[in-house]
Order: sequence, then structure tokens, then C-alpha cells
Amino acid sequence: MGFPVSLRIDDEGFAGADAVDALFARLREADARFSPFREDSEVSRLDRGEPDPDPPTPELTEILALCERYRIATGGAFDVRPPGRRLDPCAVVKGWAVQRGADLLRAAGARRFCLNAGGDVVAAGGPWRVGVRHPEHAGRLCAVLELTDGAVATSARYERGDHIIDARTGRPATGLLALTVTAPTLTEADAVATAAFALGREGIAWAAARPGCEVFAVTAARRVVRTPGFPTAGRARETVA
Amino acid sequence: MKRALPVLVLTVAGLVPVWRYTPSAPEPAVAEPAPVPSVSASPGGTTRVVAGPTVDTEKGPVQVEVTLDGDRIGAVRMLRQPDHPQTTAAVPVLIEETLRAQSADVDTVSGATVTSDGYRESLQAALDAGDS
Repeated sequence: MGFPVSLRIDDEGFAGADAVDALFARLREADARFSPFREDSEVSRLDRGEPDPDPPTPELTEILALCERYRIATGGAFDVRPPGRRLDPCAVVKGWAVQRGADLLRAAGARRFCLNAGGDVVAAGGPWRVGVRHPEHAGRLCAVLELTDGAVATSARYERGDHIIDARTGRPATGLLALTVTAPTLTEADAVATAAFALGREGIAWAAARPGCEVFAVTAARRVVRTPGFPTAGRARETVA
Repeated sequence: MKRALPVLVLTVAGLVPVWRYTPSAPEPAVAEPAPVPSVSASPGGTTRVVAGPTVDTEKGPVQVEVTLDGDRIGAVRMLRQPDHPQTTAAVPVLIEETLRAQSADVDTVSGATVTSDGYRESLQAALDAGDS
């Protein structure tokens, strides 16, 4: 689950270096324990039928319960173990772990910060201006949103290719180029973005119907479909491209 | 009719998720028996009205009637839908727009930046470099 993490804290005199260390330690720990790409992770051991510890830890149980909730909510399109593939809870683990890291910062007194983990964002004490990467031009944006307190996650095909499987068919989901979700927590935003992407075109309405979620999607036909409440920023600071 | 049926099935498939995704609530009461698909055609014309089969969803049975002008769908009417107060509210309003590429002054960027190669090319990397 290697991904870059950027953290900006704007609180005057924030003395929470320990909390920042704890945040990064927590992300590394989540990777070691729950990555399907590490043979000795709890996830890989469970997938091989050699759960250790047995029964699984409360954290892994919580992650799998979250996955199951989204599987049911998507009618099976999102599945932690798609047909013929290995157990892969990454879509839930990432948002869950980063949100827990952000909670550490808040508990340590941080009030105005912006945490970006592999393109998924937790913002606090904004307004923060968050650009949404254009699905076809890495150096451009296709939307700019303004976020005070909340989270943004984007699922797309441009970075890892067709890696999100529609478990109903067992094939990669190809109905969308990218889908961005804002939600109160990154746990919800990240999982909903991936689950909606797995659903394809119908995932837009599905995500839009979830309480607290706003959606900005780019379809395979290169059309933008979004909710009216998607927090698009004013264009005052926009520069002419 | 051979050409109309696939269209109808797609229409039903498209509508069914709307009910699947409503928050859980008591099952609606729909009493009438499920009719079989029926077709009425205006003689000599190309407009046909096709009633689809009743599809059972979590929230109750759904049946649609499709008016076809030749091969095009002229209208879709619900013959039966779950008697459910959240049915309307659960259908979200969506806005469709043209995809635009823009540059703007932002604090951070959301996108599927998973690999470090992707990161090096990304706007977020540029922002971090600018901060330091």
C-alpha cells in the first residue's frame, strides 16, 4: 500500500511532534498488518487460512465488518475478495487508517491541518482548497472544491489501471474514469469512492444517496456527473489555463 | 417484440438499484398479483406499449411500462413501485456537465496517487516542493 503522505499543520506553536510521529507510525503499522502485498500480514495469513492471531484482532475484524457493510450496500459489486482473487481490504484500510491518524492529530490539539495520503485528504479548520486531478492530464485539475472540516477521496483508473473489480462480473469496472467523494470522515469517503467505482455508472447515484456524501464523477464518455451539493470553490482565485 | 424485450430488461435493471439503495425501512404492502408481461400495439403504427415483468426488490415489487416509438423509448411509466416514503427522496438529483481541464491555486490535490512514480509527476509533489 505504498503511497506518499503530505501533512500541513497551520496551528501557531503546535507542539505535537509526537502526535505527528504517532500518525506516521500508525500508517506504517496499518500497512504491515493489513497489506495483502505482505506475506506476513494479518490479512495474508487469514487469506491463506492460517489466521494468526486466531481469532483475528479486533482491528482486522472491524475492517472486515466495514468491507462486508459496503459489499451488501453495493449489491455485491464491491467485495473484499472478488471471485478468484485474494483478500484485499485496501480500499477500506487506507481511509480507515488515515482517518485514525487524523484523529490522533486532533486529540493532540491540532485544529487547522490538511493531511493528504495518496490523494485522499482529511481537512480540518479550513477553508482548504482541494483540487481534483484531471483523469486525463496529470498536471491539471478538473474541479476545485472548498472544504472546512471533512474528507475527500478519489478512485480512478489512471494511476493503477483497471484495479477495481466489479465483483458481480469478476471483471474490472470500466464505467467511470474517476469518481471523487466528500464525506465527514475519510473512512466513509474512501470506501464509498471505491465501492461506487466498482458499481460503474450507477455508482454515481448510489454514492450520492449516501447521507453526508457529495459526488463528482467523470464517466467513460468523459462527461462530468455531480451532485448539486458538491462543494465547488468559487472561481475568484482560479488562474486562466 | 424480439427487439423490444432487451430494451425493457435494461430499463428495469436500471431502475431496480434505486430501490436497493434506499435506507432500510419496513416492507411496503403491495397486494395485487403480478401480471405477466403484456403488449398492446396500435395497428399499422410503430408505437408500442410494453409492460415488463414484475421484478421483486428488497423494497417490494417493481413493474414498468415502456412506450416505444419504433426502437426508441418514448416514455417509461411505473405500473407498480414500492409504497415507500423514501423512494422519491432516495433518487438523488445529479447535474451533468462538460469535463474541463483547469489550473488553479489550491492547497492540496485529491487523486489516485498511489505509486511514488505517480507522486513525482503529481501536483501534490509540486505543492510540497513549494512549501519547503
